[in-house]
Amino acid sequence: MIGLDSLIPFVGLFVLFILLGFYGKYWRRGDLNQVHEWSLAGRKLGTTLVFFLIGADLYTAYTFVAIPSGMFAKGSLYFFAIPYVMLTFAVALVTMPRLWSLSREKGYITASDFVKDRFNSLALAIMIAITGIVAELPYIALQIVGMQSVLTVMLAGSSNAQTVGEISLLIAFVILAAFTYTSGLRGAALTAIFKDILIWITVIAVIVVVPISVGGFGNAFKEIKPNYVTLSDSLVPAYATLVLGSALALYLYPHAVNGVLSAQSAQKLRASTGLLPLYGIGLAIMALMGVLVYAVPSAMNFLSGFPESSRGILVVPSLILYSMPGWFSGIALLGIFVGGLVPAAIMAMAQANLLTRNIIKEIKPNLTPRSEIRITKISSTVFKFVALGFVFTVPATYAISLQLLGGILIAQILPSVFFGMYVKSLRKEPLIAGLLIGIALGIYMVESANNFGPLSSSLFNTTFGSLYIAVIALAVNLAISFGGSAILNRKHLEDLPK
Amino acid sequence: MKIQVRHIILALFILIPSAVNLYVPLYNRDTPELFGLPFFYWFQTIWLVGCSGFYLAFAHLMNRSTQSDRAR
Repeated sequence: MIGLDSLIPFVGLFVLFILLGFYGKYWRRGDLNQVHEWSLAGRKLGTTLVFFLIGADLYTAYTFVAIPSGMFAKGSLYFFAIPYVMLTFAVALVTMPRLWSLSREKGYITASDFVKDRFNSLALAIMIAITGIVAELPYIALQIVGMQSVLTVMLAGSSNAQTVGEISLLIAFVILAAFTYTSGLRGAALTAIFKDILIWITVIAVIVVVPISVGGFGNAFKEIKPNYVTLSDSLVPAYATLVLGSALALYLYPHAVNGVLSAQSAQKLRASTGLLPLYGIGLAIMALMGVLVYAVPSAMNFLSGFPESSRGILVVPSLILYSMPGWFSGIALLGIFVGGLVPAAIMAMAQANLLTRNIIKEIKPNLTPRSEIRITKISSTVFKFVALGFVFTVPATYAISLQLLGGILIAQILPSVFFGMYVKSLRKEPLIAGLLIGIALGIYMVESANNFGPLSSSLFNTTFGSLYIAVIALAVNLAISFGGSAILNRKHLEDLPK
Repeated sequence: MKIQVRHIILALFILIPSAVNLYVPLYNRDTPELFGLPFFYWFQTIWLVGCSGFYLAFAHLMNRSTQSDRAR
């Protein structure tokens, strides 16, 4: 159990966080009964705000929990997160300004809106919406796992740690649900800035204090196993495909699209995207902690009190607790805690948009704008609690693996969304077939790679070495989508009256 | 002709950093170290800044050309 010196800054800053979330309602006022005002903050965010909002979307508990945890358990393979974020912004620079312009022109709020309009296919649009909603759930669950890891470290040693932890999470989620309900994306954007300030303070402190306390990086790497220093040759294809697959998938996630569409202009979107790789420096530092922790005996001793499978997710919070002064660890731990909370809010909002606009509205087309926004707000609340229930019932290590499965699923909408914007010859029937086969193949390969047991690997052994399944399934999907479209178009030409 | 050169430069601003990121053998080595950190780690971390430079150049050139398109 941590002392009052850590607890007071933690709780005090959390109260400030809540106030900011509710204040969002009054910030740059708009009519929050309109969907684009509530969920896209009126499409009025400038370069800096988009930078923070997308930064908040993309650098999440994944950064502070999943990647350090993977580094801790498996070594340098998990550093793939760094080139992944670099590559994903190249993908974003090429595709997202175009999606932004199309959306502004035609009033799209989701990628599914675009697909419905472009291919004139309700079936494809609904499938894309469902894929988005499903793929997002484990991502939210991962955020909650991150928050849980902070609470676990803070409460360690107290008699009823688990109950207190779960109640605290529940309270945090009720508050979060309340302010996203009233403030929409404005609340999320304001709290995202607050969260990022705390996170950067933490990252800078960690990179100064931890290497000094272990006697320099050289010291930490001296004793370590070779697979923590570089990649073994057999893992090079895995590394490259994890980079490629994750980079292609990220901007297909509903929350990323949501963040992009809230930008004020395509120009501002480009400028902030160009700056976002800098945010990866924080990610790299956090990833390194998964290795450096081996050289910190007090933290290792603390971690040894937990089952081996859950040590990884506790690496960063326990390093903070054991290398920083008490008052500072309170600040840093809150940063990681809200670092899960803010993205969870944005993700649930994006899911709610998909559910309301692209599924419910299709079934009940005469929905009034007033009831549309009400359903969106309510379903965003429901999604948060679904994810919370998921975390309470499924072990944490499982949640991280499921996030990789989410990436495999969401990657399959790439042909419709990205290529749909540029390639005129694509047809809806092969896109539907490609999507379904890609998803089925992806799930099958994940299951077979894990021998139909608990999910721990997202790599599949091929003659080219082990590859990230998202890339294999996407390649098949693309072949079907483009091949099928070519065949249909040729047939169409032949059928034309001569 | 002028437009084509601009397009090639724009493409390179994206393709050069992407090729470096995907060609893993380029940076999968432990030496030279920097402050005791293996090459594998420090190179990729510093390359984040390099990438951002390429991307900002892309954004700048693209934004300037879309603005002049509109002015026309």
